[in-house]
Amino acid sequence: MCGTNIAKIVDVEEVARFASGLPNVALAKSYKYMCSNPGQEMITQDIREHNLNRIVVAACSPNMHERTFRSALRSAGLNQYLFEMANIREQCSWVHTDPVEATEKAKALVHAAVRKVELHEELESVSVDMCPNVLIIGGGIAGMTAALEIADAGNLVHIVEKNDHLGGNLARIDLTAPYLYSARDLLTEKITRTNENKKIHIHLQSKVTDLTGFIGNFKATINSLNGKETGKKKPVEIEIGNVVVCTGYKEFDASRIVHYGYGKLPNVITSFELEKMIRAGRIETKEGKTPKYVAIIHCVGSRSQEFHTYCSRVCCMTALKYAHEIKSANPECYISDVYIDMHAFGKGHEDFYRRSSEAKTLFLMYEKGDRPVIHKADPKDGCEMLIEVNEKLSGELIEIPADMVILMVGMEAREDSHEIARTVNISQDKEGWFIESHPKLEPVATTTDGVFIAGTCVAPKDIPDTVAQARAAAARILARIAKERIEVDALYSEVNENLCSGCRLCNTLCPFSAIEFIEEKKQSHIISALCKGCGVCVAACPSSAIKGRHFTDQQVLAQVDGLFGID
Amino acid sequence: MSTRVNPTFIDDLDRFGAEDVQLCYQCGDCSTVCPHADEVYKFPRKSMRFLQMGLDRKLETTLEPWLCYYCGQCSEQCPREADPGETMMSLRRWLISRYDFTGLAGKFFKSRATEVLAIIIVALITGSFMLFYGLSRGSFHIYDGEGAFLPSGFIHKFDLTVGGILALFLIMNAIHMWYLVMIKGSPFPVSPWLYIKQLYQLPWHFFTQKRYADCEKKRGHALYMPWLLHLGLMLGYVTMLILVMVFIERLQAGPEIRWEVHIFGYLASIGLIAGTIYFIRGRFRKHYIQYKKSHGTDWVFVVLLFIIVLTGIAQHIFHRTGLLELANITYIIHLMSVVPWLLRMPFSKWSHLIYRPLAMYFAAIRRDAITQRETILSVNPVLIK
Repeated sequence: MCGTNIAKIVDVEEVARFASGLPNVALAKSYKYMCSNPGQEMITQDIREHNLNRIVVAACSPNMHERTFRSALRSAGLNQYLFEMANIREQCSWVHTDPVEATEKAKALVHAAVRKVELHEELESVSVDMCPNVLIIGGGIAGMTAALEIADAGNLVHIVEKNDHLGGNLARIDLTAPYLYSARDLLTEKITRTNENKKIHIHLQSKVTDLTGFIGNFKATINSLNGKETGKKKPVEIEIGNVVVCTGYKEFDASRIVHYGYGKLPNVITSFELEKMIRAGRIETKEGKTPKYVAIIHCVGSRSQEFHTYCSRVCCMTALKYAHEIKSANPECYISDVYIDMHAFGKGHEDFYRRSSEAKTLFLMYEKGDRPVIHKADPKDGCEMLIEVNEKLSGELIEIPADMVILMVGMEAREDSHEIARTVNISQDKEGWFIESHPKLEPVATTTDGVFIAGTCVAPKDIPDTVAQARAAAARILARIAKERIEVDALYSEVNENLCSGCRLCNTLCPFSAIEFIEEKKQSHIISALCKGCGVCVAACPSSAIKGRHFTDQQVLAQVDGLFGID
Repeated sequence: MSTRVNPTFIDDLDRFGAEDVQLCYQCGDCSTVCPHADEVYKFPRKSMRFLQMGLDRKLETTLEPWLCYYCGQCSEQCPREADPGETMMSLRRWLISRYDFTGLAGKFFKSRATEVLAIIIVALITGSFMLFYGLSRGSFHIYDGEGAFLPSGFIHKFDLTVGGILALFLIMNAIHMWYLVMIKGSPFPVSPWLYIKQLYQLPWHFFTQKRYADCEKKRGHALYMPWLLHLGLMLGYVTMLILVMVFIERLQAGPEIRWEVHIFGYLASIGLIAGTIYFIRGRFRKHYIQYKKSHGTDWVFVVLLFIIVLTGIAQHIFHRTGLLELANITYIIHLMSVVPWLLRMPFSKWSHLIYRPLAMYFAAIRRDAITQRETILSVNPVLIK
């Protein structure tokens, strides 16, 4: 019944009566909350008392509670695959308004499930060895954090880094907001520990060109990018059990926004160019003068329809940090902060915002989509540039004088992220960020078992979030390594070797790269640990040589018969 | 036409007292509680925003700071402790310095030392001039009548001269204010008829300070106390000013003084003493939010006024009791504080006296002009481009 969720539209008693009249049905009951503990116990007891050998639960989506009921079967000593769910909530009561017709549909769904479950077979899940080695792609703060965590537990870690040094994007930054810790200090400790750890193999100026196998049993090929200097290095092949992808971000190309004249006006610079100046210890214009008026423009490339609709999350606080740094380097300097919204969501951020306000920074708001325009100023204006802004809070059209303009460039997926996604077989969203297997409950796992994602390759985020994700991925991997073996769901497809003609049609179709071709036999073989049982190969096989376990042709056809009321 | 931002403005205003304005995040609570803010004059929020944005060119043409009587409700409500009430006060100080063409007001507001120095210099000049005049012409032992140390006829002429200088400064500044507000700050020309129609606003606001009484905070007090005392103080010194300026010869005519003069003199003195003590006490105790932050110039104002009132009364008592030498000494001290206090008026908060009624007058004209324009626009939008 699911409380009133199902019962208010579907006459569940009527469905139960109908089910008890079906052939091979020994017992049919309705219950208020079948997924509750008493509900499960009822199933367990009925199995024992009535010696039931197949169970159908007509309730919600199997996504929700299939696991719950399977475990009820297991505790009654029945094979967990001798079970089927009829979804009469999401696919029936929630989407229909006519109780009579909805009840009829529920009956049909139950009938179909009964017909299918009759043909279910006892299946056993398989378990495979877990290789304790880990591959980490990307040697930034996320990569090093995860590597140290895993290596400190005694496992071998390979870090593959594209650049000739570790540190990633964080190495380009001077101080971090809001506590103004030195990024160099944060990194040096991590880099030293990473370099000194004997369990960590660092592959600099390299990239992963191939990844095959499945969770616990991957094989990766690492190619050196630095062929010219050291002579052609041979690709390295390594065996690993898990992969963490933390390839980071690249900054938005500011010259794409013509309003800001980046690349044309010499003193319009990006935030990273300013970081470089601060690290060198001098904030000055291209002419070598100390700027009197500095303007900071937020959301460059972020939160706009033409470029990226998302918020890059770190720029607001970084801008406040610049205001602080410039003002303390030169108290005579005046800073205008041109923003859309001030996103001060994190720990300590609001206080940092307040302190920046007290430092007499001018906060000027512009409307999303109504970008400021930067002009070259007249010599009589007493400044280098004038920024024209439609100030949102006052409704006034204003001109801000500026000798230097800092563009807070947002984060973007790296240009080679597509390549990485293909290599490790994970998906990307429309902006190019890697997709997690569940945005809230599985933030570091992907749809490929054994491949994890962490840091700013998933979405823009700040250092604490990046580090937390890296450690989360490491924890997930360490838990699996500790178990030594890994259970794989029994729902996979099998090739009947007697029927396979070796056409290899299925090899290319498989979305999980789970089918390999065995040259000696000239036949395809499905790696059960990789197969998700999606059934693409089953449908495609011209010689019907592939059987989808738990979804055999007979089972599906019986289910269809059931839908139409055929016994 | 875009308005140029002046990023240094906020630092300038800091010295006029607006210290916390950057904390404001424009929630608008202040304008909601303000009993005077309305559709046309949106303050303190809008003034705060202009200040945050460094729009001094806009602010110098606005009337809003003058429409605020600093009841302090906005500052009490402010969730960010940005002190909008004090900001409006600081803006008034800044506006006084903007209207003042000599540039002295700005200097005094920004540096207390400069102000005190100027006061001492003027006081010493006045004192030595009076001493020199008195010793050369009259006798130290005579207070009034024949052979007086400082004869009333001379003082009368002296008063009128000082008053003339004062009036000259004030009129020039008032014209400057009119130019900034009504010419530079007005987006469209205003019909001269409105200037005549609203003329009654000037004496009305000058003598009643009606809007000060309208502040809800003040209304909450028994007998409208702060307003009553403020009014008493103001009417007290205006009456005293008129008495001294116009009727000084009768005040000092001899042992016999006409009762009308007496009555007015005593009433004005009571008003002045009560008001001054009340405000000094307030500034010490800081029990109202308005008194939480006393600007240096506020102290100079009340302290000087207090000395003037005390010496004025002492002089009267000494004269009545026949201690003529003491009366002459207090007279000189009295003049030494009156002259700098009067001459300081156009450059200090004292000029509220003139600017406020003027601002009410201009505000009423502008409000009428806006209504007129809207009426015309609603009938025929093509008329005004």
